[in-house]
Amino acid sequence: MKLGILLTSSPENENTNTVISLSRSAREQGHDVSIFLMYDGVYNVQKKEFAQLADKGVRIAVCALNAEQRSVQKVDGIMFGSQYDHACIAGEVDRFISFG
Amino acid sequence: MQDLVNMTTELDLRGEVCPYTFVKTKLKLEEIECGDELIVTFDHAPAVENVPRSLKNEGHKILGIEKRDEHLWIVRIRKA
Amino acid sequence: MKKITVIVRNLPFNTRRNAEALRMSVGLTLREDKVTVIFMDDGVYSAAPAAPELIGAPTLKKEFEALPMMKCTMLADKPSLEKRGIKNLVPNVKQAGRDEIVRTLTGSDIVIPF
Repeated sequence: MKLGILLTSSPENENTNTVISLSRSAREQGHDVSIFLMYDGVYNVQKKEFAQLADKGVRIAVCALNAEQRSVQKVDGIMFGSQYDHACIAGEVDRFISFG
Repeated sequence: MQDLVNMTTELDLRGEVCPYTFVKTKLKLEEIECGDELIVTFDHAPAVENVPRSLKNEGHKILGIEKRDEHLWIVRIRKA
Repeated sequence: MKKITVIVRNLPFNTRRNAEALRMSVGLTLREDKVTVIFMDDGVYSAAPAAPELIGAPTLKKEFEALPMMKCTMLADKPSLEKRGIKNLVPNVKQAGRDEIVRTLTGSDIVIPF
C-alpha cells in the first residue's frame, strides 16, 4: 500500500515521533511511504531520523519556500520540492494522513 | 517545418513564489498551442529547480535554463 | 481524480497556518484533483473581509483569487459563523449548513485539517 504523510508541526511536537515511528513500521512491513514537510514541519529535516528514513526508502519532500523562509538548509536524500510534489503525493497514495 | 510556424510567448513571474510560479506557468501553457515556446522569467530560486521538474513530469520539454543575474533566471519551455 | 478537502480552523492573525492552508490548497489543485476548502470554528474569521495589511500581516488576496480560478469550492460552516456573528464573507466563499459540510467530508478521499 502507498501511504502519504503530511507533517506541518515543528520537531518539539509529539507528531514528529509518531511520524517517524509510523513511517519506519510501515516501511518495514513493505509499504511505500512518502512524507511531505511544510510550514513548521520543514524544521524536521534537521532530525537525523528523517535522513535515516530516507535511507530506508521513505521518500521525503520539503516545501522549499517554507524552508527558505525559515533558513532551513538542504539535506542530502531529502527533496526540496514544491506544493506540486505534495499534490502528486496526495494524488498517488492509497491512504493519506496529516499531522499538524 | 514545424519550427517555422511555432510562436514564442513570454511570461514575467518576478515576485511570484510557489505554487503561483507553477500555477501561472501552467495557465499560460494552456493558452498557447502545442509545440509553441514559452519563456518564463523567475526570481524565486526554488521555482527554477521545481517548476521545470514539474513541467517535465507533465510532459513538457525544457529547452533551457539560463541564469541572468544573482536572482534572475530565464526558463524556456516547449509545450507538449 | 480525487476529492480533497482542507479544513481551515485557526484564528487568522496569530499564526500563518490559515494562509498556508490556502496556499497548500492552491497547490493541491495542480494535479486535476477536486479541492474543497472548509472554514470552520475560528477559521471562519479568515473567510470574513479583513484588512491584515493594517497590522503588517500578509493578505490572503492571492489565495482568494487563485482558488476559484482553479475551480476550488470554498465553504464556511454556518454554525461557526452564527456563533461568532459573522454576516459577510469574502467573494466566492459560500455559507454551508452542517448537512452540506458532512456530505463534503464523507464524499472526500482525503481530508486535511490544517
